[in-house]
Amino acid sequence: MATLVEIDNVRKVYKRDAFEVPVLNGVTVDVPRGDFLALMGPSGSGKTTLLNLIAGIDRPTAGRISVDGKEISRFSETQLASWRSRHVGFIFQMYNLIPVLNAFENVELPLLLTKLSKKERREHVQAALGIVGLGDRSLHYPRQLSGGQEQRVAIARAIVTDPTLLVADEPTGDLDAKNAEETLDLLQRLNADFQKTIVMVTHDPKAALHAKRTLHLEKGLLVEGAANT
Amino acid sequence: MKFAKLIRRNLFRNKLRAILTMLLLAVIFFFVATLLAILQNFEEFSNAGAGSNRIVVQSAISLATLLPYSHEQKIRQLPGVVETAKLQWIGAYYKEKSNFFANFAIDGEKMPVVWDDYKVDPKQRADFLADRRGALVAEALMKRFGWKIGDRITLKRQIFPFDPELTIRATFVHPVDTGSLFFPMEYFEHANGDRSEVGTIWVKVKDPKQMAALSQQIDAMFKNSDYPTETFTEKEFQQNFMSMMGNVKLLFTAVSSCAVFMVILLAAITMSMSARERVTEIAVLKAIGFEQRLILALMLTEFVLLTVIGGAAGSFGAHYIYLVVDMGKVTMGFLQNFGVHAKTLAICVATSAGVGLLAGGLPALRASNLRVVDGLRRVV
Repeated sequence: MATLVEIDNVRKVYKRDAFEVPVLNGVTVDVPRGDFLALMGPSGSGKTTLLNLIAGIDRPTAGRISVDGKEISRFSETQLASWRSRHVGFIFQMYNLIPVLNAFENVELPLLLTKLSKKERREHVQAALGIVGLGDRSLHYPRQLSGGQEQRVAIARAIVTDPTLLVADEPTGDLDAKNAEETLDLLQRLNADFQKTIVMVTHDPKAALHAKRTLHLEKGLLVEGAANT
Repeated sequence: MKFAKLIRRNLFRNKLRAILTMLLLAVIFFFVATLLAILQNFEEFSNAGAGSNRIVVQSAISLATLLPYSHEQKIRQLPGVVETAKLQWIGAYYKEKSNFFANFAIDGEKMPVVWDDYKVDPKQRADFLADRRGALVAEALMKRFGWKIGDRITLKRQIFPFDPELTIRATFVHPVDTGSLFFPMEYFEHANGDRSEVGTIWVKVKDPKQMAALSQQIDAMFKNSDYPTETFTEKEFQQNFMSMMGNVKLLFTAVSSCAVFMVILLAAITMSMSARERVTEIAVLKAIGFEQRLILALMLTEFVLLTVIGGAAGSFGAHYIYLVVDMGKVTMGFLQNFGVHAKTLAICVATSAGVGLLAGGLPALRASNLRVVDGLRRVV
């Protein structure tokens, strides 16, 4: 499989007042197109930082990150924002839907940045909500949905622009076992049926088993990688 | 605009807070509109004689000191003078002191020349001139007291030793003066003991460019007499009259500025709270591709809308309230022809937009500058 994400000797150091806190200490890893990669590790191991760097919402202190042949680590803030809108879909632990917008409007949000007509946007939103099985909940507000439904709306928002890459940070961290399983099944289906490349951070070994392979981080370094069977 | 729904929903995400903020702005802009309208009213009053080529001669000692009639005859001889007329402030009131309004004794037969901006029906004017105790009344004043032509009224004295007993013979319309009453100078002369003295002499000048020179000439002419004069253009005279109340303009401007400053601070607190509550949402928007300047534009639009709705509600509320409430009556004739007009409305709405920009500028800028990872710290 062709490589979609190339991470080459990436370091990330955070400054806390006068102190420098190294979080990633020279990580090198490739994510092939169509992969479903789980990142695991203890708290503070740097897995969320690595995910942020891959998603283009943070910058490495050193090293190089390329996605789909573009070196995003050299992009300006504006270029990164534009790139994210076209290439990255985000799935958060707490869903992070906009509470004043209904499900349809939440899913439509990323499309407002495109030149699609209102009719085209509606078609895309309905398709995305259909994929996650919430076509009949489009007028419901987040407060009127269960946690599992909220996360599925968030997934619909993440896929509505047909992004190159999906990044998910603890997508099941706030869900009960049943909803967690449904959400992971959905991610698996997006990977298998729609060839979406997914990078997922998780603490849960059971969740990681839904990925094609798992990488473990510890103290800012990759310690092992394994293909899931 | 495809972001209109997002802006509208965010504007009213906390309905109680949004409505209270708008109400606060509405109340403050109601008062600001009222103060500005009063200033504009004064300005209109000061400009009442603009373009009428009139100058006013009064005693150099004070407005309360009278001038001899002989002054008028001498002034009339000067080149460039079209006509002169005497005008005396009476200061009486109708029935009760709360019914005070401007009333004057006037050289009625000279009105068509000297005060040609007062529109009077010719037949009514003839009736007024034929009656020594006739009264010429502003139409708005007629409405205020429910008077009609032919009514007999008695004003009560405050300055001079007589109660003017008058019969209303005519009404007038004037763009600014909507609350005055005039009666013949002869009646005043007779009732005041035939002293042949008057408070002001009004001079109609042929060429407006001559007004300054003529004023100096008049004052020079009487400089060494027993009755020295001070001559003004009508605008200067009205402004002097207004300045007797002190520097009202400065006071009102200061009060308005304080009110606007206060509302900026209060709006800034509200907007900061609103922006802070949405840190994570803003981070999410930025994560999915909303650029910094788009976030800034969306938030500023929302904040400006909040203040403009409040400001417009207050100032247009004042506009409509003063259409219904007769401020001439409420202020005992002090504010004539009072209203919140288009210019004041435009200033208030523009100021409220400025309040939104100033108060919301910093919170919006901070929100738009937010680093995505900081906003999502607990999430991604």
